[in-house]
Order: sequence, then C-alpha cells, then structure tokens
Amino acid sequence: MSETVLSIDNLCVTYKNRQKKVYAVKNASFSIEKGDAVGIVGESGSGKSTLAMALLRLLPARTAEVTGKADFLGRDLLTVDDKALADLRWKELSVVFQKAMSSFSPVHRIGEQIEDIYRVHTPNAQKGEAKERAVELLKLVNLGDRVWRLYPHELSGGMLQRVAIAMSLLFNPRLLIMDEATTALDVVTQGQLLNEIKHMEETLDMTRIMITHDMSVVAASCNKVVVMYAGDIVEVGPVKKVLKTPAHPYTQGLLGSFPSLKGETHALRAIPGSIPDLSQQYNECIFAPRCPHATEACRKARPEPVQVGEGWSSRCVLCGGGKA
Amino acid sequence: MTKYVIKRLFSGLITIFLVFVINFILIHIAPGDPVSVMMGKDNNDPELRAALMAKYGLDQPLYVQFYRQLTTTIRGDLGDSYIYSRPVVDMIAEKIGPTLLLVFPSALIALIIGAAMGILSARHEGSVIDVIFSGLTYILNAMPSFWLGLMLIILFATRLNLLPSSGMIDVRAGYTGFRYILDVLRHLALPLGTLVLINIPYYYRIAKSSVLQVTNEEFITTFRATGMSERKIFNKYVFKNAILPVVTVFGITMAFLISGVTLIETVFAWPGTGRLTLTAINQRDYTVLMGMYLVVSVMVALTMIVVDIVYALLDPRIRY
Repeated sequence: MSETVLSIDNLCVTYKNRQKKVYAVKNASFSIEKGDAVGIVGESGSGKSTLAMALLRLLPARTAEVTGKADFLGRDLLTVDDKALADLRWKELSVVFQKAMSSFSPVHRIGEQIEDIYRVHTPNAQKGEAKERAVELLKLVNLGDRVWRLYPHELSGGMLQRVAIAMSLLFNPRLLIMDEATTALDVVTQGQLLNEIKHMEETLDMTRIMITHDMSVVAASCNKVVVMYAGDIVEVGPVKKVLKTPAHPYTQGLLGSFPSLKGETHALRAIPGSIPDLSQQYNECIFAPRCPHATEACRKARPEPVQVGEGWSSRCVLCGGGKA
Repeated sequence: MTKYVIKRLFSGLITIFLVFVINFILIHIAPGDPVSVMMGKDNNDPELRAALMAKYGLDQPLYVQFYRQLTTTIRGDLGDSYIYSRPVVDMIAEKIGPTLLLVFPSALIALIIGAAMGILSARHEGSVIDVIFSGLTYILNAMPSFWLGLMLIILFATRLNLLPSSGMIDVRAGYTGFRYILDVLRHLALPLGTLVLINIPYYYRIAKSSVLQVTNEEFITTFRATGMSERKIFNKYVFKNAILPVVTVFGITMAFLISGVTLIETVFAWPGTGRLTLTAINQRDYTVLMGMYLVVSVMVALTMIVVDIVYALLDPRIRY
C-alpha cells in the first residue's frame, strides 16, 4: 500500500566559483513514502537546506552543479523541463521558508499575493475563488479572513508563518518542504503549529519534509529522520528507533547535545572539533576526525551506507554488526 | 493617509520658517553691507549713509528687521531690491520660469534613463551591457557639471554647429508660436542634457543595487517556487519594491538640483534665477538673496512633500 512519493538517488550538489569547489551535498540517497513525515537534521552548513533548494530547483545554475536523480511521482525533478517544472511547482511540490517575515512582498497586500499565486495554476479562476480557498486554509491555521486585506508588516512573525503555511497548501500539494519553518518561532507557537500541521496531514493526505536543526521538532512531528553531517547523509531511519538507539556516532553526539525531558538527567555534551572544510574531497569517513570511536578502517576509505534495521541505514564501518 | 499629508505639510512649513531664520542670520553675519555698495567706492559721506540706512530700515535693531521681514514676507511682499529698487517678487517671477523649465524636466529624464539603465544592468549582471553602463556612469559621476557643459558647447555648438551655445531664445529671429517653442527647445538641449548626464549616475547606481537586492529577497524565491513566471515576478513584485529607494534619491537630488543649477545657468547664460542669485551675492542685495533662498527652500520643501506622499502611496509601511 505504500507508494513512493520521492526517491532521491545519488544526489550531489557542488557550489563552484573560479577559485574552488564546495561539495555541499554528497551522494544523498533516500526515499519518501506517501504519508511520511521526514525530518532532515544536521548542524548549520551540513547541506540540509542546499538539498531542499536542489529538489526545488531553486539553486542558481551558474554557481551550483546538481547531479543525480530525484524521482518525484515518476518525473525526475532535476532534469524535467521548465514548463513541466512550472506545472509541478506549488501544485504538487510546495515549500515554506524559515523567514516568514521576508516571505511576502512588503508593499503588496497578502490577499493580492495569494491571489497571484492562485492564478499561476488557475489563470481563468473566477473573482473571489482564490479568496474563498485562502480563507478556508487560513481557518485551518487559526487565522481569520481579516488577514486577506492586511499588509505583511501588520502581522506578527507567528501569524505570517501561519499564512506562509496556509499559502503552501493552496493546491493540496503531494509534498510539502518546510525549511526551518518553525525555527524562528517561540516554543509555544511552534508546538501549536506542529500540532496543526500534523492534524492537517491527516485530513489532507500530505507528505512532508521537515528541515530543522532541532531534534525535538523531529521527535514531535516526524516518523522518519535523515541525519546530515558535512554534506553526507550519515544516518536514515525511523524516528523512534534512531532517537532511542542511534547507530552513527554523529547521531549519538547530536542527541547527546540535547536535553531530555524524560529519563535521567545527564550533562549535555558538545561534539568536539568543528565541521570540516567542504572544499576538500575526503577519502575517509568525514566524521572520523571528531569521532570518539574512529579506527584505522575509518581513515582508509569513505564508508558506504550499512543496513542497520528495516528502513534504517548508517554510513559507518562500525555498524556492520549492529550497534557501534 | 489624509492625516499623513497634513502632518507632512505642517512639517514642511516649519522647515521653511527655519530656513527663513537661518538665512536672515547668515546674511547679517556675512562681511560687507549693501549701503557701502550703494554709496559707491569713494563716497564716505556719513549723512548719506545714515539716510540710506534709515530708508531701508537697516538702522533698526535686528529683531525689528526680522519681524518686519517676516510679516511682509507672509503677505507675499519680499521687499524691494537694495540695488535695483524693484520688487523682489517681480524680479524672481520673471526668472523662475526658465529655471523650472530646466530643473524639473532634467530631473525626470535623468530618473527615467538612469533607472532604466540600472534595471537593465541588474537584470544582466556581469554582461557587456552592465560593464559598459557601469563604466559610463563612473565617468559621468567624476565629471564636474560646468566642465561637462563647456565640453558639450565645444562639441555641439562650436565644432558641429548643431545647437546654440547660450541663451534661451534667438533674440534676433523674433520667433512666435510653434517656431518659438522649437527655438526654446533647441536652446534647452545643451543645459538640459548636461544636467541629465550629471544626474544619471545617482539613479543608475541606486536602481541597480536596489533591483539586485530585491531579487535576492526570500519572497522572490518563494514566488519562483510557486511556478510564477519570471516576467510577472519582475514586473509586479521586484519593480515595486526596487523603485522605492529610487523615489527617495529623486527627492534628495531634486534639492541639490534646485540649488545647484546656478552653475549650469551661468555656463549657458540661461536667463534663470541662478544668475539672479549670483549677482545678488556679489552686490550684497539682501532682499533679493532672502527672496531667492526662500523660494528655493519652498521649492525643495514642496518637492520633498510630494516625494514623501508618493512614497507613502507606494509603501504601506510609511503610512503611520
């Protein structure tokens, strides 16, 4: 019964200029089934936003080279022609960005902007049709129809974020990418929104990618997690299992740096060292210099993903026999 | 919005009053006095001096002079010229037309050409057009206006003999009707062209950087992600956002233009207020100077008010 919505295969993104290349995303492969909510986590500069921008084909062609495949409902997002891409955009694949404050033009009314977006895919829409649909969605995120007439600066950040989310649902997209969509909000608003989003997913039959550096957001709203480090996908698996028994040393480190509400308290640990220089190509495990368990084998070659459990893999040589 | 306009008009009035006060003080602390000029170089007769001082009220204390000047000004009387004994209002009225003919069209043309070049450059950043436009505006920006004016005279009037080098009309021809307008336009070409060329770089730079900045805004990325056509995104969303700083710059350069046009009027012997001001400075003609400064400050204040209102119409965040 599970139907694959998005299947990413060996996706690489390289930023280049005259002096150097930066390998921002390397050999990313994972797939998303219908109804999934996938959290992509990692620290700043790990390539998670780059990955999303590549999927949305929003990276400037001049400076970013994208290779690999991203099969979305039978079409390769990375190679599909402009017209077909324009048809997919927003209708099947929409996005909410981090800074809602700057996600709207400050000098146009919100209604006008939503109407324009509505008309991109339904150019012959009747007058009032867009508003009707928008008001329905605004209600879904707990906003009144008053918002329609307002300018962005007349709303708070949280309200704008709700508008951005409502706007992303205009055409009932199959896949919604939320790029740090709740990061700028306070925890109370964030919690409310996450609940609303989960509720909407049940009613709208939607699949979601959640890009965040906040493990608690993933824990609260996703069923699958992709952990990225320095452009590599180091671990992919079901949220519950990964959070409980992380297979990759980096995931372990990342989880160790978040406080836990339940269970015993322990001192928060930072991962020693810093992110490697991504303009170099490494012929070893990229995490080895910071890894507490690194061995000779880690420095010999870049590890391939190892199957840990069902739908669960980790790019670590130590995971061959189970837990590291 | 009405409240905003009223508020703006009121602050404009205060600005004009302050300018009036500052001008009054400045002129009175500047060295030299009009009585000496009127009496001539070799005349030092104290009786004549006293008579002249009394006639123009210069023997009164400063605050009396100030009060009289203020009240008569409000009644629309700017006094008589110390040197020519003519009403200042008349003197300015006959010269203001040519100046306005020079200032407003040149500002508008510079705005349109400069902004268009800037937008084009930003749309094709790094292209040949961008490089040429950028280089051209750097050169224009570095040129003094009077020098550019002289060079244009040498090229178009002296060498090519295409356009007249000075004045506003051909006095000997005595054209009327349509021919007259054509004649004025021919005379207008060089001084107007100079002002336009001098002002283009400001609009160019602000338009280019503004378009580039708006293009990188997150909401433009959002619109791209919705599949909206690049043309629609630019024409509607980038344009309206990017034009705001250009409007601001228009207000600022207008102020410079109104007061700085003197130089160009001198180079081209344009019969505007610029030369009137210059002569008045040399002759310490207080009333004419006061009148001119007042008129200039009123024009600048009015332009600023208009610019602010246009800005408020374009940008909802301004309407408080």
